Amino acid sequence: MSIVTVQLGQCGNQIGREVFNAICSDVHGTHGLCSKKENESYHDACKERFFCEEESEVPVARAVLVDMEPKVISQTLSVAARSGYWKYDDRSHFCQKQGSGNNWANGYSVHGPRHKEVIMNLVQKEAEKCDRLGGFFTIMSMAGGTGSGLGAFVTQCLRDAFPSSFILNHVIWPYGTGEVIVQNYNSVLTLSHLYQSSDALLVHENDVIHKICAQLMNIKQISFRDVNQVIAHQLGSVFQPTYTAEGGLRYSRNPLGDLMETLVPHPEFKMLGLRNIPQMPENSLAYSTFSWPGLIKHLRQMLIANAKMEEGIDWQVQPPRLGSSLPPSHSTNRPLHFNTSIANLVILRGKDTHSVDLGSFQDPSLYTSWLNPRDAFNAWKTPRAFNKYEKSASLVSNSQFLLKPLDSVVGKAWNMFASKAYIHQYTKFGIEEEDFLDSFTALEQVISSYTIL
Amino acid sequence: MRRGRALPGAVGALCRALPPRSRPAPDTLRCARFDRPQASLDFWRLLYALLKQIHGDKWTQSDAIDNQISFVKSVLWYHGYDRPELYQLPSDGSAGSRELLLAFSWLLHRLSLLEQLLARNRVETGDQTSVCTCEADLPNSQKGMTERAPEYRLEDRVDVRYLQWLNGRLRFQWRSLHAQHQELCKLLHKIHLFTSGSHMDQILGHFSVTETDLVRQPENYKQLLQLLESETMQLEAFLEWKQLEPVYWQWMETVLDNMAEEGNTCESQDAHVEKNRLPKATSCCPWADSLTGQIDRLSRDLLTLHYQLHKLVTHRKAVWCEKVKTGGEELKKEGFSATARKIQESVELKLLDLTYLCAQKKIKMHGSCRLVFRSKHPASKTGFGRSVSKEHVSAVSATEVIRELQMREASLDRELKQLREECRQRLDEIAEGLDGVICISP
Repeated sequence: MSIVTVQLGQCGNQIGREVFNAICSDVHGTHGLCSKKENESYHDACKERFFCEEESEVPVARAVLVDMEPKVISQTLSVAARSGYWKYDDRSHFCQKQGSGNNWANGYSVHGPRHKEVIMNLVQKEAEKCDRLGGFFTIMSMAGGTGSGLGAFVTQCLRDAFPSSFILNHVIWPYGTGEVIVQNYNSVLTLSHLYQSSDALLVHENDVIHKICAQLMNIKQISFRDVNQVIAHQLGSVFQPTYTAEGGLRYSRNPLGDLMETLVPHPEFKMLGLRNIPQMPENSLAYSTFSWPGLIKHLRQMLIANAKMEEGIDWQVQPPRLGSSLPPSHSTNRPLHFNTSIANLVILRGKDTHSVDLGSFQDPSLYTSWLNPRDAFNAWKTPRAFNKYEKSASLVSNSQFLLKPLDSVVGKAWNMFASKAYIHQYTKFGIEEEDFLDSFTALEQVISSYTIL
Repeated sequence: MRRGRALPGAVGALCRALPPRSRPAPDTLRCARFDRPQASLDFWRLLYALLKQIHGDKWTQSDAIDNQISFVKSVLWYHGYDRPELYQLPSDGSAGSRELLLAFSWLLHRLSLLEQLLARNRVETGDQTSVCTCEADLPNSQKGMTERAPEYRLEDRVDVRYLQWLNGRLRFQWRSLHAQHQELCKLLHKIHLFTSGSHMDQILGHFSVTETDLVRQPENYKQLLQLLESETMQLEAFLEWKQLEPVYWQWMETVLDNMAEEGNTCESQDAHVEKNRLPKATSCCPWADSLTGQIDRLSRDLLTLHYQLHKLVTHRKAVWCEKVKTGGEELKKEGFSATARKIQESVELKLLDLTYLCAQKKIKMHGSCRLVFRSKHPASKTGFGRSVSKEHVSAVSATEVIRELQMREASLDRELKQLREECRQRLDEIAEGLDGVICISP
């Protein structure tokens, strides 16, 4: 079951390249810590998912690269080919000579329709190469012009052309103090449009990853490459092959479908957050040992207290005690900082995964009242270690993780909108004030749904 | 004494024509004829195994005997077997082998039991696909559905978000299934394409999945051979059975005569009690209830529909007459022809739908078919005229079936749009009545 990746804009292309790099180096590493047979099935499953083995010697990534400027794409293509382990298809990219100027409307209303046919042709070609199309994975940033505007348009086209496929959008949340003035407008418009066509939005916040690089990875001069590599590691830990059922004999051949089914069946709740532990610089790995109980305990507290990484967790936050006398819809009895979940997915990779006790994640007090842990919690496992970490655990969570950031972005955008700042840049390309209002309404609805959990 | 010799042959052929795991000993039937109690248990088990196969279910020998018996009773009831003595038989399987023999023979005749079992247990080619161009029988009364809100208590309340969650899961599972199905088709195409021209049978021209699998794993030939041999023996036994069948039915007549002589006094008195007891059996087969319910609803709906149609037609006629009378002089020439054209188009579209619904279709297909690949130009590498053939007797082209289904999809789409409009209007009406509520429809 193959996933077609659509890399949109500068951010999308750079991250996409790092993701394929991480996956490839994981597969070719000798640190699998499992039997040869296991390693081979892992290798085959991963190959089928991300790469195509046509007439070339090196596996070709199943990806379409889209950008309005030629520089990033040519860089991406050449760096990939130089690795010697994998490459992109030389014909699977589209770029123009001009950029989008960080203007969402430019990307959505101008570039999108103009180049729709060419881009969709490339996507169609990649889709046809797959024996079984497992869905689309798009990577974009919310703040810029190409990734956000063109990305929203392309997602809509994907939905129209492939109505029964799974579409997962990976969205990069901009720095709170980002350099693009209109980034909040772009974010609001992107999110509201994506909510209509996409099945799930997997979010990475730049601020969070930056902190991880600084505090956990001990990087002094943090470059975009470092940030992208951390993101790639986290994404790889979710999308590499796993067994999705207890006692499964084969690696799952439906990763996107399984993910969607466990986390986002409800159309109102599509925002997913990602946490991964442990994270540390590569050279410290040899000197560290991990225990599953410790990792699980930390991961659970990260979920409950809405911590972004395994340092600085607030251990005071505890789940509320459930009493049967409380009416189910009463949510104000929950402590203020407690993060209520709708559904959680824990992915375990490495040694002794079969003996891990995940009972603490099945506590009903973690979850909203209308869903019981049997429906809300799932675990995927594989004995094959990932990317040199002897044991690693990831959490994909549909919870109130992104409530505060979303509220903050919408609030800032609304304040700007109230004074009509910079609106002319959008109306120039056909995005009217009503479109803004529709987007605000849609996101307010999402915020309110998540708040009353 | 010709019958004396032919009967064991008939019974033997019958037993050999049944599938290997549910084959009775000929002696069982003979014991049953004389109502020997020791044959009862075996006979219940036999019926259980056969009926489970007919319904495509899995079963094991170790299922509890009373479950087996209640299953057999409910399935017989579903298929319309209404001999009350059978349903009165004890559920420990200790008696009644003659009744069971009667039921078995009834199934043979009524359900074409043998033919169904033979069809089900065929050796797979792997190229099967199911085709269905039947009309979907959905319940038609929208009004009836919405106004008949069920009674519910406080404990029954379920958060609507949970229902939405479940609905979403179902949708995603459907999508995964769809993707799997598309993969199957793609791979089947590849197999057919790559093995074109290699098959001994010139008409087929390419390998089936089973044959291709055999080429890749030749050591499996023994298993396949065994299956084919077993199927051949069953088919030969079936042909034998067909020759000797009349003897069997004569024999069954004698059984019936014997039973009539023994004169059960199972008259209307007991029959009334039976009717009340039978619902217990039907609780194991819920589809029977819903079927009768559906039939009742259907007849009610037909009557109301007829009445409504009549009312609507008279109303429309009256309104139209009014309109013509008042607006006739004011209509300008140009405006009239434009509206007339529009009306004509929409009427044609509606008529098309109606004629499609009422017309006798050329292909009314339902069932599974074998896919055979046909290339449009024998010289070209890729072809696109797949045909679907059923035993070379009635071959249907896949393009025709596709066209039929596309037309049906278009008409269902139109119907959906219309229903959505109606719902939207109703919602707007309701929302207008409520104060301080803004309704934003999707």
